[in-house]
Amino acid sequence: MKHKTFMAFIWPSLLAMTLFIALPILSVGYQSLFVEHEQILKTAETCGPFGCNSQVSIDAEAMAKQRAEQPAGRYNGLGTYTNASHLAFGEISEIVATSKDFNEIRNRIMNLPFYKALVFTLAYTFIVTPLVIVTGFFIAIVVDSIPKLFKGPVIFFSLLPMLVTPLVGSLVLFWMIDSRGIIGAALQALFDDPGLSLKASPTLTWITLFTYGVWHNAPFAFVVFYAGLQTVPKDTMESAMVDGASRWERIRFVTIPYLMPLATFIALMQLMDNFRVFEPIIGFSAAASATTLSYLIYNDLRAAESPLFGSAAATSMLTILGVVILLLPVLRRNWREFNRKS
Amino acid sequence: MSSPALRKPPSLVALSTAFVLFWLIVAAFPFLWTMWGSFKVEGDFFSRADWMNALTGPVTLKQHGSPFTLDGYEGAWIEQEFWKAVINTGIVTFFVVTISLTLGTLGGYALARSGYKYTFWLLMAALVFRAMPHVTLVSGYLLPFFQMNIWGYLPTTIIVLVAINQPFTLWMLHSFFLSIPKDLDEAAMVDGCTRFQAFRLAIIPVMWPGVITTGLFSFLLAYNDFTVTSMLLSQDNLTMIPKLNGFLGSTQEDGKVMYAVAAVVSAIVPLFVLILFFQRQIVSGLTAGAVKG
Amino acid sequence: MARLQLKNVHKRWGAYVGVDDFDLDIADQEFLVLLGPSGCGKSTTMRMIAGLEDVTEGEIWLGDRMVNKLEPKDRDISMVFQSYGLYPNLTVYENIRFPLRVRKVPKEQHHEMVMRAIEMVELKDFMDRRPAELSGGQRQRVALGRAIVRKPTVFLMDEPLSNLDAKLRVSTRAQIKNLQSKLKTTTVYVTHDQIEAMTLADRVVVMNKGRIQQVGTPTEIYDNPANTFVASFIGSPAMNLVEGRLADGVFTSEGIRVEGLRRDVTADVTLGFRAEDSVIAATGGQIAAPIYSIELLGEASMISWRLGGSLISVRAPKDFRAEIGETICASVPAEICHLFDTASGQRLA
Repeated sequence: MKHKTFMAFIWPSLLAMTLFIALPILSVGYQSLFVEHEQILKTAETCGPFGCNSQVSIDAEAMAKQRAEQPAGRYNGLGTYTNASHLAFGEISEIVATSKDFNEIRNRIMNLPFYKALVFTLAYTFIVTPLVIVTGFFIAIVVDSIPKLFKGPVIFFSLLPMLVTPLVGSLVLFWMIDSRGIIGAALQALFDDPGLSLKASPTLTWITLFTYGVWHNAPFAFVVFYAGLQTVPKDTMESAMVDGASRWERIRFVTIPYLMPLATFIALMQLMDNFRVFEPIIGFSAAASATTLSYLIYNDLRAAESPLFGSAAATSMLTILGVVILLLPVLRRNWREFNRKS
Repeated sequence: MSSPALRKPPSLVALSTAFVLFWLIVAAFPFLWTMWGSFKVEGDFFSRADWMNALTGPVTLKQHGSPFTLDGYEGAWIEQEFWKAVINTGIVTFFVVTISLTLGTLGGYALARSGYKYTFWLLMAALVFRAMPHVTLVSGYLLPFFQMNIWGYLPTTIIVLVAINQPFTLWMLHSFFLSIPKDLDEAAMVDGCTRFQAFRLAIIPVMWPGVITTGLFSFLLAYNDFTVTSMLLSQDNLTMIPKLNGFLGSTQEDGKVMYAVAAVVSAIVPLFVLILFFQRQIVSGLTAGAVKG
Repeated sequence: MARLQLKNVHKRWGAYVGVDDFDLDIADQEFLVLLGPSGCGKSTTMRMIAGLEDVTEGEIWLGDRMVNKLEPKDRDISMVFQSYGLYPNLTVYENIRFPLRVRKVPKEQHHEMVMRAIEMVELKDFMDRRPAELSGGQRQRVALGRAIVRKPTVFLMDEPLSNLDAKLRVSTRAQIKNLQSKLKTTTVYVTHDQIEAMTLADRVVVMNKGRIQQVGTPTEIYDNPANTFVASFIGSPAMNLVEGRLADGVFTSEGIRVEGLRRDVTADVTLGFRAEDSVIAATGGQIAAPIYSIELLGEASMISWRLGGSLISVRAPKDFRAEIGETICASVPAEICHLFDTASGQRLA
């Protein structure tokens, strides 16, 4: 295809992506260098018969003017990145200097909002992803072996947790694990502990969120693996039977190697999706015990008085950096493959 | 199956049946439970006394004279104007799907048919863009949108959703186009078509399955979106998902939580229907990327 | 000890009959070829022997064991598949070792056994490669190596040469024949290619539509086909068949008249003769008709006529020249003729 024809076909797509993905990233980068204007205060003196009273108030007019002149706020350089709610270099060096042992360092760092979110995001990404792959694989193997008649309905119900809006899905589960909901009540009965609540302890909240993640994502892995299973070469499978491989050995030597590329694909998709996990935090009202990078940004933008654009932008930039690091191996591999082909 | 090698010992059959049943319960029960419960009052759905109440609904019976009530739906749809959000969702999803597919088929076709190196870079860029957390992009939109005074309107959100979905749409359609032999467009061009005519007359007619599948996923992405819609729409223009999240904020008073439950069920039902009719396409779409990627 | 018996074996899927009453005794060390067009039930028969398909009715005996209910792995067979069925993630060496591994053959014997098999199939230089890095012929040899690495009672080969190009097919065919004669293992080989069948087999079973048509040595089948199906399936070109009338020892049909045949039958018959047995004559042959086409084959020419609705070919010397439409004669003496009953297709007894 000629360059000109290529452009004729792709420009609308390119334009949309440039305007609404590439430019916003630049805009975020720019915003992250600024912070909100300081409030301009004015002192008004009201003098009455009993003397003068000075009152401090926000000068709305002056602030509006300032905002119009410099909408992004005032320049702060990399200040936002290093402040307490982001990388917190100052706080960390202080923590390291004043803490007694490693545990204390860890606990105190975990109280810094950025690190708290980063740790949970990474934990979520790297715990949920492998669990999803394993669970999905098992479901696929088992569903593949049931009578044809039942496959359709099983697949139908399996798709639900994945296709339902994450927020809705997490709300549904959240209501069930409520201490007055069915799962919450059942757990209390099971452990004979009327005070048990999955929402109370950070550890339990983490586990709940991980469980939700597996529940929500396993169907994806299941469907991909299931479709893959339909194309496992019959000859190889039968060779293995004749060669004397047991059921397990057939899975181990034929099915799993054949499905490996699919597992890589699922892992890639899952890493990307899990790294930006966000809705469950809202659905489970879990922000007190677990936050994610995406949630931090959302929270900054939703800040009560006015959005903290600078702070959100700095977290965004750090998140984007994380995504790129995460994707680097994939990009490298694709590049090598592409070069081999051409 | 007809081979002795595929016959399974009974213990294995029992085990796999148990596993399938377990998985079915895990996957489907929460939804069925919530649907059932949405016709109860809060005292039953969140019963302090006995979880069985959510099934039988004694409190609902006492308050309404019947074990089922439409109170939650009434409150959500009429009192809280959920119907407006439903209409907004309809508008947003319709336009997002149509525009996404139009741009996506054109772009995906170009990517599948051009052999130059830049197609690789474009696809890789799309992959990186696809991995971007949407909320980071949103934080880039807000300020410019405020300034241009386009914040809060449906068209803005539609365009943003189209753009955000574009990387995914491109990848998916690109892989579908790759599976159509090049001979087809070449034959059409030899027969006298321009490139665009070949695309429109020869390729698109055989691409329908791929287009429908991709359309389904565009729909899901738009329908399920929370980040973009909750941040970019004004209170009056909210779509279902952010609207429903708003109910959560106002559920401290008695009974309001059932509004949220009813709204959640209202948002799930269309998806139920969708999966029912398009199961095959969804499955093929989920694997399309896997086969080629 | 490795005699293989199929006793009245049937295979049905619902109303569809895949294999109909297959009854055969295969001797120890015999090389048996199942030959027939696609869908004739030959592969199904083999897969039943392997245990990859259930037997609907009848019994399969391997040595003195009835194996109907045994899983493939318990039947002590090895099999080469059409598309080889190699394990893509394992090297050539590991592919060949695989049966030993899963059959729990003591580890210390593996290397020696694998190396012996690798040498037999001449893959020593490719031991550490994976199947994706091999050519079609090499993959085929890996599959062979995997089949011979242990000493099974029976080898099964399901169209093992059909994915190879023509040249490679000839050399691999020779290799298979050689291997079998060295290893002396009972072999069942499925093919649709009659040349493979003729060159490899001790005995050939010709099948069609699920039924055995004829069992015999390649020569028997070639020289005395049991019916018109076998006659038209074996030989290249296939046997010429002309429908006509036999009366008083004379066969007549459009453009052909053969005298001196048996006098005891008066019926509608099909006359068959092989192209290479007949000779072109300038005048006065049993065939005298305008020719339909002339094809140069290099070492000879092939002259054909359309007689009674069928195409008849006869070999002519390579320098023979004629125009299409010219009347040419050919001799078809009674000695080279086969007679089949037209209605049943069976050879006249």
